Amino acid sequence: MSEYFSNIRIGATTIATGLAITLRHFFNAIHRKGDAGIDDADYFKQVDGLCTLQYPREAVPTPALGRYRLYNDIDDCIGCGQCERACPIECITIETIKTTADDLAACGKTSQGQQKRMWVPVFDIDVAKCMTCGICVSVCPTECLVHTPVSDFSEFDVRNMIYHFGNLSNIEAEAKKKKLAEQQAQAAKEKAAAAAAAAASGTAPAPAAKPPADEAGE
Amino acid sequence: MSQSPSLNTWSDALSGFHLGWFPLGLVIVAAIPLVFIALYALTYGVYGERKISAFMQDRLGPMEVGKWGILQTLADILKLLQKEDIVPTAADKFLFVIGPLVMFVGSFLAFAVLPFGPAFIGADLNVGLFYAIGIVALEVVGILASGWGSNNKWALYGAVRSVAQIVSYEIPASMALLCGAMMSGTLSMQQFSVLQSGPYGFAHFYLFNNPIAWLPFIIYFIASLAETNRAPFDIPEAESELVAGFFTEYTGMKFAMFFLAEYGSMFMVSAVISIVFLGGWNSPLPNIGGFALNDLTNGPVWGAFWIIMKGFFFIFVQMWLRWTLPRLRVDQLMYLCWKVLTPFAFVAFVLTAIWEIYK
Amino acid sequence: MQELGKAELNSTRIIRQDDNRVVIEKDLDTEYMVLSMGPQHPSTHGVLRLECITDGEVVVEAEPYLGYLHRCFEKYCEKVDYPGIVPYTDRMDYLAGMNTELAFCLGVEKLLDIEIPRRVEFIRVIVSELNRIASHLVAIGTYGIDLGAFTPFLFCFRDREHILNLLEWISGARMLYNYIWIGGLSFDVPADFKKRVAEFVTYFKPKTRELQQLLTENEIFVKRTRGVGMMPAEVAINYAWSGPMLRGSGVKWDLRRNDPYSIYPELDFDVPVPDGKLSDIGDSLSRHLVRALEIEESLKIIEQCLDKMPEVEGFNSRSAIPKKIRPKAGEVYARAENPRGEVGFYIVSDGKSTKPLRCKARSSCFVNLAAMKDLSKGQLIPDLVAIIGSIDIVLGEVDR
Repeated sequence: MSEYFSNIRIGATTIATGLAITLRHFFNAIHRKGDAGIDDADYFKQVDGLCTLQYPREAVPTPALGRYRLYNDIDDCIGCGQCERACPIECITIETIKTTADDLAACGKTSQGQQKRMWVPVFDIDVAKCMTCGICVSVCPTECLVHTPVSDFSEFDVRNMIYHFGNLSNIEAEAKKKKLAEQQAQAAKEKAAAAAAAAASGTAPAPAAKPPADEAGE
Repeated sequence: MSQSPSLNTWSDALSGFHLGWFPLGLVIVAAIPLVFIALYALTYGVYGERKISAFMQDRLGPMEVGKWGILQTLADILKLLQKEDIVPTAADKFLFVIGPLVMFVGSFLAFAVLPFGPAFIGADLNVGLFYAIGIVALEVVGILASGWGSNNKWALYGAVRSVAQIVSYEIPASMALLCGAMMSGTLSMQQFSVLQSGPYGFAHFYLFNNPIAWLPFIIYFIASLAETNRAPFDIPEAESELVAGFFTEYTGMKFAMFFLAEYGSMFMVSAVISIVFLGGWNSPLPNIGGFALNDLTNGPVWGAFWIIMKGFFFIFVQMWLRWTLPRLRVDQLMYLCWKVLTPFAFVAFVLTAIWEIYK
Repeated sequence: MQELGKAELNSTRIIRQDDNRVVIEKDLDTEYMVLSMGPQHPSTHGVLRLECITDGEVVVEAEPYLGYLHRCFEKYCEKVDYPGIVPYTDRMDYLAGMNTELAFCLGVEKLLDIEIPRRVEFIRVIVSELNRIASHLVAIGTYGIDLGAFTPFLFCFRDREHILNLLEWISGARMLYNYIWIGGLSFDVPADFKKRVAEFVTYFKPKTRELQQLLTENEIFVKRTRGVGMMPAEVAINYAWSGPMLRGSGVKWDLRRNDPYSIYPELDFDVPVPDGKLSDIGDSLSRHLVRALEIEESLKIIEQCLDKMPEVEGFNSRSAIPKKIRPKAGEVYARAENPRGEVGFYIVSDGKSTKPLRCKARSSCFVNLAAMKDLSKGQLIPDLVAIIGSIDIVLGEVDR
C-alpha cells in the first residue's frame, strides 16, 4: 500500500519537475541564440533561448574548411586526371588533348608557373553524385580542384548539377584534335621515314617513345 | 446572485427572433459556438499549440506566413481543402464518411450548454452538466466508426484503444463532476456560475471555497485529458506506435474535421472544469476596499472574456503537459483509471458529501 | 485439463489462477493478426520492417526483415582503393562516422604496420568521443520520441548541433567526415579547437542534468521502460551483443578497456553498468541509463585528452600517411568500440593491389538486432516500440 502511494508521489513530483523545465524554456523563448559560426569566439556565449534560424535569411555560416560544392579552377588545371582516378564514385569526367608544341604558349602556365601540356575540353563534375569525401582535392597536384563552403546549390533540373569546367568549346576541341592527329600522323610518317632511312643505313632504330602509363588499372 | 435577473437575456432575445416562419434567431444562437470553435481552433488551437510547443522546445515555430506566422493555419486549411479526398477502396464507405462527422457533431453538441457569459447560452438545460458528459461520449462512436471503417490495422488498434480508454475514463470524470454538482446542488451550467459569484471574486470559486474541491478538480482534469485523447493519454493516435491511430487513412477536410473536433472538445472540457470548479464567467478579481474590481469586471462581455480565458488557460496546461510527458502504455492507462483515479474519485465523493452535510 | 485440438487452441484462452485452478475460456473466437510494422513506420528508425503476429495488443512473434538500405558496402570495398573506402565507412553508421572510420583505419594501419603520431591519436580520440556523445544524444532523443516525449528529442538535437558544428569546423563535413585517414588525419585541428571543445564541455554538463530530469527520471518514462525487454547476461553474450546493449545486461565489457586501442589505456574512465537500483538489470531502461552515463564518461575522456594533447609546432597531420597504400599480403581483424557496440573490419590483402581482396564489416546493430525475435515475444505493441528504441539501430549499419 505504501508503494502505491509512493508511486503516486514520485509520479507527481517528477512530472512537476519536467513541467518546470519546459515552462522555463517557454519563458526563455524571448532570447535567441543568434547565428555565430563555430569559429566565432563568442559561439558558446549565446546558447540559451530559441536556437533555430530562419534559413534562407539567416544561416549558420559554413566554416572555411567546409566541403560542399566542388570547384575547379581550369586555368590551373594541368589535366593530369588524378582526381578522376581517385574519385570513389566516378563523378568526375575528364577528356584531354595533348597540346601541340606550337600551342604551348597559348595553353599557358599555372599560377605556380608550371607549363600546362594538356587541353582539357571536358572537365565535368556531377555534383549530384559527389559525396564530398574530399579525396580528389587531396590528390590534386596543383590545388586547382577545391571544395567550396557553398552549401546550397539546389537545381530544378538534375542535368544542371553537372558542372562543366572544360576550357575548350566543342569546335575548338575538334580543331585541336585534328591538329594533334595531323601532327602525330606527320611525326609518325617522319619516324617511319627515319626508320626506313636508318634501316637502309643499317643502324638500329631509336626506341619509340614510351606509351603513357595506365595507372587507372592498378 | 445579483446577476440572476439579467441571466440568458441575449440568447433568449435572439432565439425569439423569427424570419417569417423560419427561426433565424435559433440558427444564429447555434452558429455562434460553431464560429467560435472554428476561429479558436484556427487561431489559438493550432497556431497556439505550434508556437507553444516551439517555444518549449527552443524553436521558432511557424514564421513565414504573415507576421510571426499568424496566417500559417489559414494556409494549412487551404492546403487541406485542395487535397484529394481519398476513400480507400477496401474501406466501409458509409462508416468511413460518417466517422469524422459524428465526432465533430459530438464535440459541437456539447457547446449547447456552455454559457458564454451570463447573458448567452445555447440552451439553459436544468440537466446541462449531465447532458455535457453524455453527449461527449458520442465521440467514441465517431472514433470507432472511422477506425473500423478505414479497414486499416493501425486504425483498428487506435479505435479499440480509444473506446476502452474513453469509456473507462468517463467514470472518474463523472464522479468528479458529481462532486461539483453536490457542492452546488444543481446540474444547470448557468446556476453553477451564479452560485460561485460574489464580491470576493476567486474566493467564491468552489476550488478555493471548498477544502475538498481540489481532489475532484485534479481527477477531472486528468480524466478530461484522457477523454480528449491528449498526451500523455494519446494512445489512440500514438504516432510512434500506431502511425496516426484511428485517422491514419484520412486526408483533406475529413482529417481537418478530426482536428476541429479535437480542439473543440479540448475547449469543451476546459470550459466545463472552469465552470464547475472555477466560477465560469465570474471575474476572479476581488473587491478590495474601495476598488470594486469584481463589480467592474463582471457583466455579459466580461463574462465571455473570463470563461474563454479560463478555458484557454486549461488548454495551455494541456499543451504544456503534452510537450513534456511521455505516453503511457495501454495497461498503465487502465491502471491509472481503475486503480488510482476511480478510488480517489469515490473518496472525493464521500468527503464532499460529508462536507456538504456538516459544513 | 482436457486435451484441446490445435484449431481449438487458437480460440481458447487458458488462464492459470494463483491457486493453480485452471480456467478455460472457450469460443473467444480470437485470431492472430499479422501486422507489418515498417518499413515506413515512425518508430522503426529508418527502414526496418517487423512482421508481427499479434494477438490483440500482444505480440506473439516479431520477425525483423532487413535489406531495405543495402548498399553493397563489402562488395564495393573490393572495387575502390583503401583511402576510398573510408568515406563509405562513414555511411555505414552515419550517426557515428568518426568511430567507424577509426575502426577501419586501425585495421589498415595494422596491415601496413605504421606508426601514428601521438597528436593524431589524441585528436582521433577526441573526435570519436565527441561523435559518441552526438550519437548517444540521438539515441536518447529518439527513444523519447518512441515513448511519446517529443521535447527531449529537440533538446538533444540542439546540443548535438554544437558537436556537429565542431566536427564540421575541423573536418569540413557535418556527418560524413572522411576525417580520420589511414595513417593520419585529413587536417590538423584549428588553433581554437581545444578552447572551443572545453567550452562545449562546460556548456554541456548542466544540459545532461536537465535531460535526465526531463526524461530519465520521469516516472512515466521509467514505468514504460523498466522491466521491458529483459535480456539476461548469458543470453546477451550468446547473441554476441556488444556495447551499451551488453553493458545494459550487467556485463562490464568495453573494447576501449578489454581490447585497448589508440591511447585509451592512458586515460582514466569507467565502464558504466547499471547498478540495479533505478532499473532491473538487462531491461530497456538499463540500456538507456548506460548510454546516459557513457555521455558523462566521454566528457571525462575529452577533458583528459585536452589536457594531455601535445602541441606540435608546424604539425603535419598527413606526415605518416604512406604515398601509396599497398599493404603486404595478409589479413587483419580490427575492432573498435562504436556507440552501438563492437564494429569490426576483417580485411584481406593480396599484397599486390591497392584494393582489399575482401573486406568484411562486423556491424554492431545487426548483431544486436538479431535478438529482436527473442525480446519481442509476448510483449505489447507499445513495448515493442520501446524495445526497438532501446536497441538503438542505425539501418545504414544494419544493412550496409
